[in-house]
Amino acid sequence: MSRDPLILGHVVGDVLDPFARSVSLGVTYKNRLVINGSEFKPSAVVDKPLVQVGGDDLRIFYTLVMVDPDAPNPSDPTLREYLHWLVTDIPATTNASFVNCDVGDTGREIVCYECPRPASGIHRVVLVLLRQIGRETVFTPEMRHNFSTRRFAMEHYLVPVAATYYNCQREAGTGGRRFIRDDRC
Amino acid sequence: MVSSSSSSRSSPSSNPSVLIPPTMRRTMEEVWNDISLTTPHHERLLIPSDHQSYHHHHPASSPSFKGMILQDFLAGPLNRPRTISPHAVEELPLLPPPLSPTLPRTALSLNSGLEFEYLRPHADSHSNSSSNGQNTCFIPSAISGAIDGPPSPTALFSFCSKNRLPENSAVGADRYRRRMINNRESAARSRARKQAYTNELELEVSRLKEENAKLKKHYEELRSAMVAQQLKSNTLQRSFTARF
Repeated sequence: MSRDPLILGHVVGDVLDPFARSVSLGVTYKNRLVINGSEFKPSAVVDKPLVQVGGDDLRIFYTLVMVDPDAPNPSDPTLREYLHWLVTDIPATTNASFVNCDVGDTGREIVCYECPRPASGIHRVVLVLLRQIGRETVFTPEMRHNFSTRRFAMEHYLVPVAATYYNCQREAGTGGRRFIRDDRC
Repeated sequence: MVSSSSSSRSSPSSNPSVLIPPTMRRTMEEVWNDISLTTPHHERLLIPSDHQSYHHHHPASSPSFKGMILQDFLAGPLNRPRTISPHAVEELPLLPPPLSPTLPRTALSLNSGLEFEYLRPHADSHSNSSSNGQNTCFIPSAISGAIDGPPSPTALFSFCSKNRLPENSAVGADRYRRRMINNRESAARSRARKQAYTNELELEVSRLKEENAKLKKHYEELRSAMVAQQLKSNTLQRSFTARF
């Protein structure tokens, strides 16, 4: 039983295949750094975060994907995965500097940031950093829902190099079962 | 007769022909035996014929109250031993006519109706039996205790499913099973979440400790270098920046 939080939280199973971390990734929402498995309220993640991308070679470009694999409900993820944010052509920077993913700054935001607003259940929100083979090799997907990071990476020849995730549930406390579906209690 | 029995509550009447409400001292079996020996025909109908044999099988020595154990209670209304107050006996004919035990299904539904009627009066009803002019029943506190709390899925289940048509009970069982599976999955996810977060924190702690140790070491090195520098520069020295 691996002790990697990404494996334990089933991020590696549901969203990605096992990969080797090679680039540092830091995601900060309002001065609070995202630690794997930490809890964020929807009110805390309303605005896009500050993303720090490491990497040594300045010629390499990265794509950042933010998905929710538990949409609409972790017990019944029919919309897996829901794409919240997609930024491409992020240049690698040395570890200490910030990368602000505003459009026009560094990186192209091809799917604009949408705040996670889970209706029920406790959702994982996963941020994946993928290495591109070149520049402007990534195209906009058609829909946000039923997105597949694996398929997307395969289509655009991307390789995951870093990932992190946090948990998000309804603003007003318990994200437990609130609705009764037809086929289940 | 019936009216005279209500006044003689505290002393168990030796006259078997009179219906007496059960007291704390008498067991259910004794009461039923009295009733069965002397009961007129219309009262008999209220008791399913298999009830008596059921009753004889279960000795009072088993953990029970008023001759009944919780499992039997949960087994369903058909098997339920019922105590009937003298007043309740009179009012029962007013309810939809009780059918003979040969039609168990309709009897079941009637019984369930009666059941829920009986369940409303509380445990205190059996303590002040004589004074009631209402349609109360002497429910052993075991039953009322079980009902007072939120009914467990099995209890609710035996209530709901057995009193309806077979299709409903199949769907109900299905739904219950699915709910249980969902709950188990949620529980597993919750445990995984907790474990993942704990591990992440542990990794973070070890990372920070390592960084801390490294920084301290670096600091010490710098400090000792600075001290060495200080000692050296206490004496005047020719500096390379001088013009001459």
